[in-house]
Amino acid sequence: MRKQKASIRNFRRGPRLNVTRMGRGRGKATRTEDAAENEQSEQQQIPRRQRRKSLRAGLAVLGGRTAGALSRRLHVGGGTSIVGLVAQRVDPDIIGHLATQLEYGSILVTGTNGKTTTSGFIATILREAGLRVWRNREGSNLMGGIASSLVIRALPNGNLRRDGKAISIFEVDEAVVPQVVQTIPPRVAVFINLFRDQLDRYGEVDSVTARWQQAVSKLSNETILVLNADDPTTADLGQAFTGKVLYFGIDDPSLDLSKQQIGAERHQVIDTRTCSQCGNDYVYEMRFFSHIGHYYCPRCGHKRPEPDVRVLKAQPDDFDRLRLSIATSATSTSKQLHELIIPLPGIYNVYNALAAATAARALEVGWDEIATGIAQFKPIFGRGERIEVEGRTLRLLLAKNPTGFNEVLRTLFSEGTPQHVLFALNDNIADGRDISWIWDVDFERTVDHTATLVLTGTRALDLALRLKYAGVSPEKMITIPSMPLRAARRERDTHSQKNRRIKNRTNRGSKVTEQAVDAKPLRQYGIVGALNAAVRQTPVGETLFVVPTYTSLLEIHRELERRGLTPRYWEGRDS
Amino acid sequence: MIDNHTQRLSLTLGHLYPDQLNLYGDRGNILVLRRRCQQRGIELRVVGLGIGDALAPDEYDMLFIGGGQDKEQAPVAQDLYDLKGIGLWAAVEDDMPVLAVCGGFQLLAHYYRPANGPDMRGLGVFDAWTIHKGPRTQRCIGDIAISWNGKILVGFENHGGRTYLGTSKPLGKVLKGYGNNAEDATEGAIYRNTFGTYMHGSLLPKNPHFADYLISLALQRKYGANGLEQVSSTDVQAWINESAAPDRDLSTVLTPLDDTLEWEAHASLLERLGLHTAAVAALHTHSVY
Repeated sequence: MRKQKASIRNFRRGPRLNVTRMGRGRGKATRTEDAAENEQSEQQQIPRRQRRKSLRAGLAVLGGRTAGALSRRLHVGGGTSIVGLVAQRVDPDIIGHLATQLEYGSILVTGTNGKTTTSGFIATILREAGLRVWRNREGSNLMGGIASSLVIRALPNGNLRRDGKAISIFEVDEAVVPQVVQTIPPRVAVFINLFRDQLDRYGEVDSVTARWQQAVSKLSNETILVLNADDPTTADLGQAFTGKVLYFGIDDPSLDLSKQQIGAERHQVIDTRTCSQCGNDYVYEMRFFSHIGHYYCPRCGHKRPEPDVRVLKAQPDDFDRLRLSIATSATSTSKQLHELIIPLPGIYNVYNALAAATAARALEVGWDEIATGIAQFKPIFGRGERIEVEGRTLRLLLAKNPTGFNEVLRTLFSEGTPQHVLFALNDNIADGRDISWIWDVDFERTVDHTATLVLTGTRALDLALRLKYAGVSPEKMITIPSMPLRAARRERDTHSQKNRRIKNRTNRGSKVTEQAVDAKPLRQYGIVGALNAAVRQTPVGETLFVVPTYTSLLEIHRELERRGLTPRYWEGRDS
Repeated sequence: MIDNHTQRLSLTLGHLYPDQLNLYGDRGNILVLRRRCQQRGIELRVVGLGIGDALAPDEYDMLFIGGGQDKEQAPVAQDLYDLKGIGLWAAVEDDMPVLAVCGGFQLLAHYYRPANGPDMRGLGVFDAWTIHKGPRTQRCIGDIAISWNGKILVGFENHGGRTYLGTSKPLGKVLKGYGNNAEDATEGAIYRNTFGTYMHGSLLPKNPHFADYLISLALQRKYGANGLEQVSSTDVQAWINESAAPDRDLSTVLTPLDDTLEWEAHASLLERLGLHTAAVAALHTHSVY
């Protein structure tokens, strides 16, 4: 049994690379070679097993797609992961089996923040270069979602659709990288960054680092690694790797935190601070945000690698347009600089675009296609997405961890004009059950910068408390939790207690109690109610910024879909 | 004992290893202490004590130590033992209020035995020890509620290590959640005015009674029961009344604040844990409604 597994692994590795190089039609031939290899190790049973294998794969595809159709019809969940989960249940080897048939191979994209945007950039660039791009759906980046993305493109005979020149981009959750590279060896692997995120799910940042190192050690040296030079943990992955590594980074001193507003540095959350080689603290010549910047270790001399693709200058054209000048190791004079326009705000999107450009360079795509691809990029699913609602513009800015949230706040309040804002905080499993990170977010920036402010989500009360201690006065925010407090309702319904309450009220007669009484009958619950309240408060023609965590974004999206304002996200627009 | 010329009460909080041990929103605890003091006209100075800094117990009225990752905890453990151990011991024995959360709690016990790597020696303030049984044992992760002093504390816990108490008394009894080791329903530890706990979330925002308890302990220790009476001659009105009586509930000597939001958040967590009676009681006692 074990022997057979080993040969299946060979079977996966071998043909994919051949196919990549030789193009269509070659897959079949290599597969026969592999079958021969199988035959040597375990004779006789092979034909039967082969037949059973493709039969099983076909069944898996059918089962998965049926489940997906059902889930969509019944509106149970997003319907994105279930396809893969069911298919894997029927045939645990289904991903490996389908992955060997990817003609142009695959690109793996991982990191704490920016996976979806980066793979979106890569997709538009590659489409511009004439390839057919397949992706796993936004947010479905665990094994199930990746399996789904392959299964929905498979035929009931257990083979992938043959739609010429197809390349696959897999957005992969940090924690499952080792499993994914083992099943689907990528042509290019992009590591964007590593921050603290959902500590309850991943344990600690260090354990993700260990998983990544393990994953990289399993890669064949034909894979090209694309790494962020400015993030110490990510950059270190290139050290032990024997294949080709391309680094990207920022060389624009004007983005250094110390040159920006005073106090910005004080509130940064830093997740990597000690040298991986000797344990000494890193010193930063320049720091862009969190632990991202030009670092070196004064004790052992370990430092940021020289990037192969670097941003020399990044300047905003508009709230959501950035202009970058990029140099590569090949450019020697300023004439040879490449210009990119990013249609998104924030320094984190500079890194996302840079990662995508570098990955495209790894595939030898030209700079023209890169520039056009990135400029045409449409913000996706909560990453700066713009939607018109009742005459107001809604901007959705997903924020799911302290660093991401701080960057969103920095972008939002950089202009100094008061904004209309809705924060939504959920603590479902996909968001992370632990919400203590909100205390690490620099909500002090919010003070005096909001025209209207609404808070919602399963942990809206925690968020209100955080803002209260940041110095936002309670009258300036409306809190609409997902669920009413049962205890409060019970109190209100009991007569005796009602009397006592009135007595209390007259005794204390404080301003706050009066307000609470006034506000009570108006209270609506749930994210939809909050969205309505926030939209109503925003004057027609102005922009409402919605900053949700992951599952609250899903809820908002579902509501907007219901009103026919956005496309259904599971109707794969990439296939 | 008290400087009568001082116009304001003031306290100094020593925050140990703010850069290394800051994993679970520990900033929230500091923010809450600072603001709750501020609103009562008490000045709270926060002094960060990093690696290499000595701890002079006379300079502080309160200490806080948070949690970190295993990798960061090792150098901290060494520094704590070498440079701050004696000072911290003196402070603890002198009844200084000390709050140690998660990693900090582990370092105040005898030792922490990580899944791999050598034991980290702790200060032994608590007669307790912690063992990480390897990556295969489940981490204790989730919302938690404990009973403390006839009241309830709520928070979130996330720890791989299991802590076992020797002769130390626990901070409280677990009502819902894992606690020290998911076995004996104990949570945290108490020695004099030193409190160790796994609860973050952050702990103090949703437990204003505990925050006030710490503040009043610090005030009483600094200004003394008699001192507090003299304080009333200054412009701090909060200290009038019979605040000198030795056996009264300390937290009531502080001016009450509007904690509606705090108790709503506290109650909502209790409801999420299924502790509905406790939730009603929490809202009721603090007469929010």
